[in-house]
Amino acid sequence: MIGTVSSKYALRSLFRSPVRSLLSIIGVGVSCAMALFAASWIRGGAEMQIRAASECGSGHLRIVPDEWTEKRLNSMRLADWGQAIEGVNSIQNVRSVSMRARANGLVAFGIRTSAVEVVGVNPEEEFKSNRVVYKSELHGRYLREDDINKVVIGHALAKRLDVDIDDDLYVTVSGRDEIQSVMLTIVGIVKTGSRDIDASICHTTLTEIERMTGYEGPGEISVLLDSHKLIDSRQKELAQKIGNGNTVITWKEVNPALAANVEGDTAFTKGLVAIIVIVASLGIASAQLTAVLERKHEFAILSALGMKVRQVIGLIVLEALIVGIGGTVVALMVGGSLAYYLATHGVSLAAVMGDNFSIGDVLLDPYMYGDFGIWLVWYAVGISVMSTVVASLYPAWLTTRINPADALRTA
Amino acid sequence: MNDSPSHVLVSARNVTKVYNTDKIESHALRGITLEVRSGEFIAIVGPSGSGKTTLLNLVGALDSSTTGELRVLGKDLCAMNKRLRADMRLHSLGFVFQAYNLIPVLTSQENVEFVLELQDVGNERRQRATETLQQLGLGEFADRRPNELSGGQQQRVAVARAVASRPRLVLADEPTANLDGENAEILLKMMKDLNHDHGITFIFSTHDPRVVAHAQRVVTLVDGRVSKDEKKEPSVADHSKEE
Repeated sequence: MIGTVSSKYALRSLFRSPVRSLLSIIGVGVSCAMALFAASWIRGGAEMQIRAASECGSGHLRIVPDEWTEKRLNSMRLADWGQAIEGVNSIQNVRSVSMRARANGLVAFGIRTSAVEVVGVNPEEEFKSNRVVYKSELHGRYLREDDINKVVIGHALAKRLDVDIDDDLYVTVSGRDEIQSVMLTIVGIVKTGSRDIDASICHTTLTEIERMTGYEGPGEISVLLDSHKLIDSRQKELAQKIGNGNTVITWKEVNPALAANVEGDTAFTKGLVAIIVIVASLGIASAQLTAVLERKHEFAILSALGMKVRQVIGLIVLEALIVGIGGTVVALMVGGSLAYYLATHGVSLAAVMGDNFSIGDVLLDPYMYGDFGIWLVWYAVGISVMSTVVASLYPAWLTTRINPADALRTA
Repeated sequence: MNDSPSHVLVSARNVTKVYNTDKIESHALRGITLEVRSGEFIAIVGPSGSGKTTLLNLVGALDSSTTGELRVLGKDLCAMNKRLRADMRLHSLGFVFQAYNLIPVLTSQENVEFVLELQDVGNERRQRATETLQQLGLGEFADRRPNELSGGQQQRVAVARAVASRPRLVLADEPTANLDGENAEILLKMMKDLNHDHGITFIFSTHDPRVVAHAQRVVTLVDGRVSKDEKKEPSVADHSKEE
């Protein structure tokens, strides 16, 4: 326990060399600010990628048939999708739900062909939940519930096939018993800005794909939640309510490459923060070591007076703690301001991604925004205090090695 | 613990201290045998290098003897670990140093209070520090830092710090060495009063004839040995006992 006089001693000791103390505080603060900015950037980036992935059809959660994760066959359909939908409707914080069925297919116009994944959708739900649809430039119109033999394709696919609105595409898909071919009229052409995505979009109605393939019902139900932070809790809850034969997976299992990317970024941030903490700690340790060695005689006096090892360590750590608190203030002023700017103004990704804002079939936002919140305070306190306290341990240990007999010798 | 005037506070039997530096042995003490009783006011004199400071270091539990038996306040110092020694220094011993050694960033009041805080003295800490300073005529200097005090005033604050924790034995290493005649007299009178009024035992190392003149017992060290141990007059505490 550090008493009043000890606290005054620790505080006033920092003012013996105010420039050194100020530099220490600035050093800790700026290092911590860098860490805050990096964390804001990476957290914002991770959140953006999760949001993009979940809004590009993955959903935060997806109900799929058992074994879909291993087989990933487009011919697989949900066991009891009615019960699954009931399960989804019974949980809270659901922003939107989208049912889909997929089929591997080939589209042809004249002598031009292209392999595609034909996706049967519920048009109204899809328009609300899939940013590939609602964020894109749409030539013509999107699908309607009562459409028969209609299709919406991507801009790049349309260019490849040299087709336009009202042209009839010859679509061939693998069905339950045999290969099926139908003529579908193009009602809309979607331009997302991503060539990869635009080359793969081929949407028709869920009814149409059931008719084409002979498989009944949806193959997946995507669920968008109010926040990605609810994923774990809602996944467990939903898993209890969807019946046998189906399973609930997250966007990570749908997009393992993107998930690995996000986890890699998070690990990088942690590594970066660790390096910053180590560098800041070494700087503080050096400054504090000097401060302690300058007061070697004084610590010998205190030891001669009967100050115990734990009290000496407490004193040194308290001094470090004060520097850490000062560093926290600097970090919040500098790092907090940068993070706030990043969170409100964002950074254009055009410089690094050109005009292709996508990773795989995930359409990213053209601007990346940093994360800003109360977590910055805990980060700043944690990093500043941890680095200074860790840095003080060696000088504190060294102080306990000082021989009190030195006190009786003249300084 | 019995603190009657005849009670032995320090008992040294054939105490030696050898320093080993760069493979060279330096014999600082060569078999000191000495007893100090409660209430004594002792001066340890001798030429430089005779072992005065080493003896104070050993008695003050700041250093360990090489051989021999040293008991302070009834406890065998050789058998005590670092923590117990610190505990003894904090609770039972007081130190006055030649260079005052006050903490420069603390006021007089805080310097005195600091030791009490280390002792975990609770709410009465501030009051006790104030009382001690006032008793020693330092009340008006309570809020001053050491650099705002004269050498004599600093040394008196150092004495206040040494006695505020109510130690049974105060060790003073050349306490008047840096003081002029007037301040040295004031300091010695203050310490004699503490010896007389509170029965605190004082052991000084000194070259100063003024201190020697005040001492009731003078132990002379030469080359690490006690060459002379003479009682000049009955101690103040002994006076009290006789009365």
